[in-house]
Amino acid sequence: MPIAESEVAWVEETKLGLWEQLYIPALIDGLKTTLGHMISRKVTEQYPEQEPTMPLNYRGVHRLNRDAAGRVKCVACYMCATACPAHCIDIVAAPAPAEWQKDGREKYPETFVIDELRCIYCGMCEEACPVDAIELTTLYDLTGFSREQMVFDKEKLLSVFDTTTKAGTDPVRTQAGRLSVASEAPPGEPRP
Amino acid sequence: MPTFDLTITAIVIVGLIGGILGVCGYLTLGERKISAWMQDRIGPNRVGPGGLLQPLADGGKFFLKEEVIPDHVDKVFYLLAPAVAVGTALLALAVVPFGATTPPPDPVAMATPNAMATFEAQQKAYGESFNFVLAPGLDIGVLYLFALGSLAVYGVILAGWSANNKYSLLGSLRSSAQIVSYEIPLGMSVLGVFIIVGSLNPEKIIAWQAGAGAASDPVLSHIGLGSAWWFVLFQPLALLLFLASTYAEDSRLPFDLPEAEQELVGGYHTEYSSLKLGLMLLTEYIHLVASSFMVAVLFLGGWSLFGLESVSSDPIVAAVLKLLILCGKMVGLCVFAQLVRWTIPRFRFDQLMNLAWKVMIPLALLNLVAVIFVKQFGWSLLVLSGVNVLLFVGAGMLGARTRGTVTNPKRAVKKMPPGLPAGVTYAGR
Amino acid sequence: MPTVYVNDKPVEIGTKRLNCVQAAEIAGVFVPHYCWHEALSVVASCRMCLVEVGDLKDGKVTMQPKVLPGCQTPVKDGTVIVTGEYDKRDKALPTLPYDPGYTKTAPLGDRAKKSQADTLEGLLINHPLDCPVCDKAGECKLQDFSYKYGRSESRMVDVKNTPPNKPQLSSKITLFTDRCIMCTRCVRFTREISGTAELYVAGRGHHEEIDVFPGRPLENKLAGNVVDLCPVGALGSKDFLYKQRVWYLKTVDGVCNRCSTGCNTYTDTNKDIVYRIRARLNPQAQGHFICDEGRYGYHHANSGERFVRPVMKADGRFKPVAWSALLPQLKQEFADAVKANAKGVAAVLSPFLTAEEAFLLGSYFKSLSKDVRLVLGPVPVIGEDDTYPKNAKGEPVEPVKFTIRAEKAPNRIGVEAVLKQLQGDVIPFTSIAKESLSAMWFAGGYPDPSHLDALVPTDWKAPALLVAQDLLPTVMTASAKYILPATTGFEKDGTFVNHANYVQTFGRAARPPPEARTALQLAFDLLGRKGLVQPDAMRKELARAVPFFGALAPETRIALEVAGERGA
Repeated sequence: MPIAESEVAWVEETKLGLWEQLYIPALIDGLKTTLGHMISRKVTEQYPEQEPTMPLNYRGVHRLNRDAAGRVKCVACYMCATACPAHCIDIVAAPAPAEWQKDGREKYPETFVIDELRCIYCGMCEEACPVDAIELTTLYDLTGFSREQMVFDKEKLLSVFDTTTKAGTDPVRTQAGRLSVASEAPPGEPRP
Repeated sequence: MPTFDLTITAIVIVGLIGGILGVCGYLTLGERKISAWMQDRIGPNRVGPGGLLQPLADGGKFFLKEEVIPDHVDKVFYLLAPAVAVGTALLALAVVPFGATTPPPDPVAMATPNAMATFEAQQKAYGESFNFVLAPGLDIGVLYLFALGSLAVYGVILAGWSANNKYSLLGSLRSSAQIVSYEIPLGMSVLGVFIIVGSLNPEKIIAWQAGAGAASDPVLSHIGLGSAWWFVLFQPLALLLFLASTYAEDSRLPFDLPEAEQELVGGYHTEYSSLKLGLMLLTEYIHLVASSFMVAVLFLGGWSLFGLESVSSDPIVAAVLKLLILCGKMVGLCVFAQLVRWTIPRFRFDQLMNLAWKVMIPLALLNLVAVIFVKQFGWSLLVLSGVNVLLFVGAGMLGARTRGTVTNPKRAVKKMPPGLPAGVTYAGR
Repeated sequence: MPTVYVNDKPVEIGTKRLNCVQAAEIAGVFVPHYCWHEALSVVASCRMCLVEVGDLKDGKVTMQPKVLPGCQTPVKDGTVIVTGEYDKRDKALPTLPYDPGYTKTAPLGDRAKKSQADTLEGLLINHPLDCPVCDKAGECKLQDFSYKYGRSESRMVDVKNTPPNKPQLSSKITLFTDRCIMCTRCVRFTREISGTAELYVAGRGHHEEIDVFPGRPLENKLAGNVVDLCPVGALGSKDFLYKQRVWYLKTVDGVCNRCSTGCNTYTDTNKDIVYRIRARLNPQAQGHFICDEGRYGYHHANSGERFVRPVMKADGRFKPVAWSALLPQLKQEFADAVKANAKGVAAVLSPFLTAEEAFLLGSYFKSLSKDVRLVLGPVPVIGEDDTYPKNAKGEPVEPVKFTIRAEKAPNRIGVEAVLKQLQGDVIPFTSIAKESLSAMWFAGGYPDPSHLDALVPTDWKAPALLVAQDLLPTVMTASAKYILPATTGFEKDGTFVNHANYVQTFGRAARPPPEARTALQLAFDLLGRKGLVQPDAMRKELARAVPFFGALAPETRIALEVAGERGA
């Protein structure tokens, strides 16, 4: 689309005086800046030896959270897969096992696969999740030897939860985890 | 004429090329380190102590990388281009002094007593002296250098053309225009030096600056001051023009349009890989080294440094000192080029052309006229210093009077009414 | 003419007996409703369709101005209807000189609007907010209406009723009891349409539940319709349960191919897999509903046993062949067979083919020789026509509201019409089953292979050159020399003719397996025509060549489509 003429602001060049026109003073000014930086403190992190601490809102590898009973929190609602702009989430839903249904769990993900290579780590899945089951951790050094290794299944994603909570790098951030909204019963209360 | 000995010459050639390549290698490290420091980083520090073996790793990598010759290239020219580029660059080093030099003796007038004997003695002394230059006593020295500098553009054009790639071609087109344009101020700015010295021989120019020249000057001969009469004193403007031109010739920032990564991927060497790419990159550093030597020789007194070169009477020590001084000046100039790289942003192509044709060439020409006047009327060279400063400030004032940069003169900025300008039709509307 | 005014818009209703919802629909105003359904009786239990009614105050008394359920309120000349969306009316119309008397306290339409919002709040009191796990989410009327007419917050502070789910309701249907809003559409359906009356309402007040009588689960051949009817996610199809979210599905209008009724359907697919068949309204074909046979009769399309690429028998085993090599070979072999003995060559066109496919294939074989016989494929007839509603003893009662035909093929009449045109008479398969032929082309497409197997005589001898095009392994494909993959009724464009000579065209819902070709494309290739098949062009050709399909000329076809859309 061409830019509309009305959106174009015509500006005139800054008028330069003799001092600027001589160019050399400006060059010296510039050199002062660059030379100043040469002796200033360096910000480089020596990565493999010195590992950075990521802020909690860093968007790294996904994890699937567990509920209090250690079951996958996910209810297989496909909200994350729907929100995902990269189409990297593949879920196969199934009716939850009978003993789960006592707690009101009707549906659960039979398989839950994220292609970590396809993912763009935008965090939309986390935003979309109604039960805070999927979260992005601060794990940033994700590597693998093959494409297949980078396709994370449910067990792998749950193990990410286990390792990150055990290591304490990513505490569970939310207390919800039931299908409810704020206008309903307060969170934490067991489902009647 | 110094005694020609094949073995010694061969050793010197090998030593020089080896030395230059080593210097180039470490210049890359220096470039990366300086870039890093300027950006508050540390820079390469993994290979060897403090990253000192990085150039070896880089070189090794260039050797071991897969050599890709794309199908669509013109094979002959594609293979020829790096050879031409690096060959011309290395050939240029033949006349570049890199240490102590002795100028060939001037002819002796037959009228003088013992003319023959004096001449013989001078020739004998000259024959026994050792010159740190591959082809000593070449009277057209600098001219040869310019000639080879012009040839260097072939490497670029061949590479860009044979690669059969838009980016490469654009890069080489820009490059050829740029190099051809900047050869004029490059040559013209140093004409003054040649006129003053009366020779194109680099050894003679060094000798002039080391004291020989000042003797014949009406004012300077009275002041004395030994060896400090570098041309930078009389020709500061010429130095500036020459320096800028050499950056342009070497495609250094701010004149790196031939290979502007942000615009052209890699410029004319986009399609090169492995060692060929290495050669292409090496060429630029050889150019940088050679031009730094030339700036040091032409304007900064060559191997002379306020008498430091003659503190020892031991010829070996003196030779080493001179070598170190000249090489030190060269390295200093290279580092300066790298500092400038991160200080001045890249010129736009029109600015580049305007700078050459509308600023540098007229200034160089006026400077040349001034030198001719001084030479003709036998005035002191100090006049030239004043004239240089005047020219520089005058150019600045002229630029300021036009109320816009001279390199990019103010254009009429008209507030356009909204909508299409009258009489303009676009296809498809 | 009797005139009704809906949001200031005068609507002439003629002699039709309409309620407010229907009258508003004619005026282009949608009145939301849950319990009301055109085909079912009116109970006015959901109270979602509340509208303000009144009269013009022109001396004639027609209506008392008050808020009434629209579904239960018949309209007559002079009735004024003001819906909750009065503020969104067509402002260009002249405002009606209408004053119900209360407009000083609330603007017109406000009462209906507030009533609807309150109704929704009431419906949501016990409705769980488990939309993320509910299969209805995305096509749920409770979601849609709450969004459009409801309030964003619930004032409910007490604990919701959560009665247990009832998966034992039926083998095909499960009940999420807590999601039910007690519209009783399902109950009325089983009482009025299927007549089987399995469902009833148990309990009273907030403890009302849909339930079945002990030992009498919801098992009738129309039971699946209650899932379509349910406006919320209470009744779920076990067949579709948690398979897909509905917003992933692509819906295409289809025609059921499981019997000769030719029910209109919606085919819901995702990535070329059929996930669900739903009923599409067409009063001319079948009405509002479809039978379970058609509803769940799509699994053959997703079957793993389907033929997906052409194979050729060599050394007693079937080996894949490329179409590029196969086509010239087939043409050559049939040309040779016709040359040797044209009488011994037959092409069997099954009643599962579309009319276009039958026509084009028939044309090809007739172009080889006039003596090649075109045979109508075996037509499966299972039992008797099954009509609904039934009485308590399971006997059909009049008036009939739905019929499941015994003839389990969608297009016998269409193929017969083509055969009559191409060779004058219809040769049934039984008449050639005993003959020993030299070559036969069997264009099948039987979704249920057992139907075909039952119709082929046990002593049937396969000819030496038998090309069988079918979906699933049958006796035909077992003895074939070449097996070509067929395409299901969801994977092709075409025309079916139902039992009542009603011609229906339909579009493709899913792409066939990559290496399968429709019979239409195959005939196209055999005829040596260049390029890809264009269904519209083929339909026109068929309409020109076969007078029976003459109405499929473009103008008529548009008219047919309009009729179909109005029906939907």
